[in-house]
Amino acid sequence: MQISLIQGLLLALAAIIIGIDYWLEAFFIFRPLVVSTITGIILGDLKLGLTTGALTELAFAGLTPAGGTQPPNPVLAGFMSTVIAYTAGVNAEAALGLCLPFSFLMQYVILFFYSTFSFFMNGADIAASNGDVAKIKRINIQTISIVALSYGVVVFASTYLAQDLMSTLVNAMPLLLIHGLEVAGGILPAIGFGMLLRVMMKPLYIPYLIIGFLMANFINMSNLLPVALLGTALALFDFFGTKNRKNEMKNAIKEISINDEGGNYNDGI
Amino acid sequence: MTVSKKLTKKDITKLGIRSSLLQGSFNYERMQAGGWLLAQLPALEKIYADDPEGLKLAMQDNLEFINTHPNLVGFLMGLLISLEENGEDRKLIKGLKLALFGPIAGIGDAIFWFTLLPIIAGISCSFASQGLIIGPIIFVSCYFAIWLFRIVWTHMGYNLGMKSFEMLQENSDIIANSATILGVTVIGALIANYVSIDLLPVIQVSGGIEVGIQEAFVDSIFPKLLPMVYTLLMYYFLKKKQVSPVTLILSTIAFAIFCSYIGLM
Repeated sequence: MQISLIQGLLLALAAIIIGIDYWLEAFFIFRPLVVSTITGIILGDLKLGLTTGALTELAFAGLTPAGGTQPPNPVLAGFMSTVIAYTAGVNAEAALGLCLPFSFLMQYVILFFYSTFSFFMNGADIAASNGDVAKIKRINIQTISIVALSYGVVVFASTYLAQDLMSTLVNAMPLLLIHGLEVAGGILPAIGFGMLLRVMMKPLYIPYLIIGFLMANFINMSNLLPVALLGTALALFDFFGTKNRKNEMKNAIKEISINDEGGNYNDGI
Repeated sequence: MTVSKKLTKKDITKLGIRSSLLQGSFNYERMQAGGWLLAQLPALEKIYADDPEGLKLAMQDNLEFINTHPNLVGFLMGLLISLEENGEDRKLIKGLKLALFGPIAGIGDAIFWFTLLPIIAGISCSFASQGLIIGPIIFVSCYFAIWLFRIVWTHMGYNLGMKSFEMLQENSDIIANSATILGVTVIGALIANYVSIDLLPVIQVSGGIEVGIQEAFVDSIFPKLLPMVYTLLMYYFLKKKQVSPVTLILSTIAFAIFCSYIGLM
């Protein structure tokens, strides 16, 4: 299906607002689930936005900017998975595979900004030594505007301008390749979860991974809230246990030192 | 000796809201320094209203390298602003900033990126994948609440002042540990629910009966074993072999296309 010029402009406007939010990491409307939903609303197919968004969100679950690294861009993934499913008529899994090049492209644009924005810091130093408050504001507004505009331009180009090219390209693909991309879309979340585990996993957490996995495997749940509550129970259990042990240890140390002062070494041995 | 308070509660609330500007001019040289200073400017201007030289020094100090967690930065801002207001030594303020931004980033990453995001996203997506709009609504509401808490953290840091330093040291590891337990439990469930690998081949049994490998063997023994195995394989490559995620994404796509070509998946 076609994207109209109005829809293209609305997508670009949404991209500017969402792009600023991702830059600042403020309201988290930049996650693929929300971006795809908004895209779906703009394109007049909310359900498509929800299903592509859910799949893309989970594939990107572990791709986080934690620790100052820049992951593949979640904003472009959110826009493009829905847009590609809409214009080329493929299913959510295949759209997830096809949206990745756009996500990588924006990742490198942001990395370019991370490097080049260093040049603004010299001006900021001068402003600080003069106590020039207005200039500090101006510098931040400039950097945010550059980021916002580039999101608008990239999303407008990728959605409205490139739509015919995209659908021709996808339609020219052999069915086998499309099916392969669908299969990939189903497996890709594994990388996101693998990345989460890379940061979180220690041997002492293995039991909890098994508990969560078994529960989802053999109990029929319509959503994940029960698992989250069970996880909370386990976390509280551990929290109070550790707190108790810490307090006991403190008291024990206190007692020992009292005994020491009393000079009575025969007690408690 | 009484220290006259120059900042009101309203100023601290404003500081918490402005802490959202932290990454306004993020760059590799100073990371969040530009936004860090920008967020604090109104408060600093008020504190140093009669002391232009003091303002200049404070601005220069706050333009030095910092990289911490956007959701928790208000706590650190509140703490340091209370020290600025009390006219503490610049070296102490700077030292505390350097000592605290790293640990706060660590707690923030553990809680917000590695625990809350998988949980909130997991629950929201389980609704959204059924086509229910309530999914994204839950997601946005949760994150709006998390954003509002920035104001709470800022007041907390400001009111506790130096006391918060000890509190943070005392409890940060216990909190991070409990958060990780919750997060790992949910990730276990997410792997089962959202990674899908289905085997296509069918075996001919005597009498012309066809048995699908997926239903007959995998599903009846351990339904989601393959997704778990593949996830652990990814974990192994990421952790032990330091393969980059992009390489893994591309090779997973190639692997999937190959498997679909030979009719395995």
